[in-house]
Amino acid sequence: MEKLFNKLGKVSQKLGGQIHLRSVRDAFASLIPFIIIAGLMIFVNNVIILPEGFMSKVIDPATLTSWQDIGTSIINGTLNFLAVLLAGACAYHLAVNKKFENPIAPAFLAISIFVILLPLVTSVIPVGAKEAVNVIGVLSLSSTNSGGMFVAIITSILSTELFIRLSKNEKLKINIGGEGVPPAVVKSFNSLIPIIITIVIFAIVSFGIKQIFGTDINTLILQIIQRPLVSLITSLPGFIFLMMLSNLFFAMGIHPGGVIAPIMDPILYIAMNQNMAAYASGDAIPNIINMAFKDTFGVMGGSGNTIALLIAIFLVSKRQDHKDIAKLSAAPSIFNINEPVIFGLPIVFDLTLMIPFVLASPICLTAAYFVTKMGWMSRVVIQIPWTTPPVLSGFLATGGDWRASVFQIIMIALTVLLYIPFLKLSEKKNNEV
Amino acid sequence: MKKILLVCNAGMSTSMLVQKMKKVAGEKGIEVTIDAVPSTEVSQCWESADVILLGPQIGFMKDSIKDTVENKIPVEVINMVDYGRMNADKVLTVALDLIK
Repeated sequence: MEKLFNKLGKVSQKLGGQIHLRSVRDAFASLIPFIIIAGLMIFVNNVIILPEGFMSKVIDPATLTSWQDIGTSIINGTLNFLAVLLAGACAYHLAVNKKFENPIAPAFLAISIFVILLPLVTSVIPVGAKEAVNVIGVLSLSSTNSGGMFVAIITSILSTELFIRLSKNEKLKINIGGEGVPPAVVKSFNSLIPIIITIVIFAIVSFGIKQIFGTDINTLILQIIQRPLVSLITSLPGFIFLMMLSNLFFAMGIHPGGVIAPIMDPILYIAMNQNMAAYASGDAIPNIINMAFKDTFGVMGGSGNTIALLIAIFLVSKRQDHKDIAKLSAAPSIFNINEPVIFGLPIVFDLTLMIPFVLASPICLTAAYFVTKMGWMSRVVIQIPWTTPPVLSGFLATGGDWRASVFQIIMIALTVLLYIPFLKLSEKKNNEV
Repeated sequence: MKKILLVCNAGMSTSMLVQKMKKVAGEKGIEVTIDAVPSTEVSQCWESADVILLGPQIGFMKDSIKDTVENKIPVEVINMVDYGRMNADKVLTVALDLIK
């Protein structure tokens, strides 16, 4: 057991310390506010001020439609522009994590390169027309939203690595020495040649790929890397496997945020953003599994749906210390924070309690998947903060479907039944010791 | 004034412990600043701290955080059960001992 733990610890240390994965994770963390405001605006536009919705009885539908412009413009600048923000954020965090002294330079560089790689000709459908026409001089939101996320991640990491390496080369520094030259000026001259070289290399490589493959680099990355990865991780088996692994790590006392999340989260965010964009524009919703789906049905009260464990303790526990911890953790658990339960009870290394802890989320998520697939509740279409309390979270994340809240209540009740026998067994075992 | 920095994955659960530690410090008349940050922000704010305590869930990051702070201040992992049960008194004592 101890051996296994040490090994897992080492693996997680390696993964958690891997600088590129860590930087991607940091980048997503810094973009969460932008995703949340987009989610809020989608909810306002598609539920609250929907021209066909309940507000139309009070306010003229035409007025409601015009009000939607506020939300739409916000969605465009956040959700639909996320790949560009991501390029800058990834480059910035990678530079910071590498302790590069001037992290803003690679951030701007990555944004610039992201645009350099975009196709020159864009196919758009004019307002009122049916056929698409090819235009130049236009950036398409389809390449700056979820479709461009992997391009953003890959190019920002590569460009930052190249840029930092070039910047450390003394021969490429322009010496404008002399006293009285402000340090900021020296800094900008130092990055001049590395920026030029990096940009030119990326532009030429992008051009070359277009010549060889007959298609642009964005389309290639989207088709060869992003699509297969997204469909693998958002498939039920792939997703459930990662969730079990994630909770297993937590049951060993290792927060999966640094281990599984860097691999799983970017993909789940892409699936989330596809859903949000489709919902905002009234299209068919592409994915069942996504970021908020995981939080809504698999992290109720925290990892392992421990809100059910707390209820189980209140119902059947005979140990005063367990009851005390349940009371202490009740308030944070409402907001899905459960470290006090995991470490205080503790679940960690309690082989009996680990079993339901690892199984609870996969069971609830599998059930949620099939219930959604059957059409008995709406798909999760809105990114909500992970701290949104369960039951409320189901309603909000599905764009206002009360059936999702009912489903959450049923799943919590069933999970209580799952935890009770293991809790009793664990208390009995510990009393004997 | 001495500063204790508590670190966890999102800075959420440690912030609860920080509140309790502040209360204990206040009752005992110990002058100390205590703050909670997510692990991603350590690189930006460790320099003002005198000691860093990690939530047990990110204990595996101890070495990489030691690296970040260039071994200039002590980095220690909080005892699992003390953390879960929010034994602020004990955690505060550990932190103050580490600063000495």
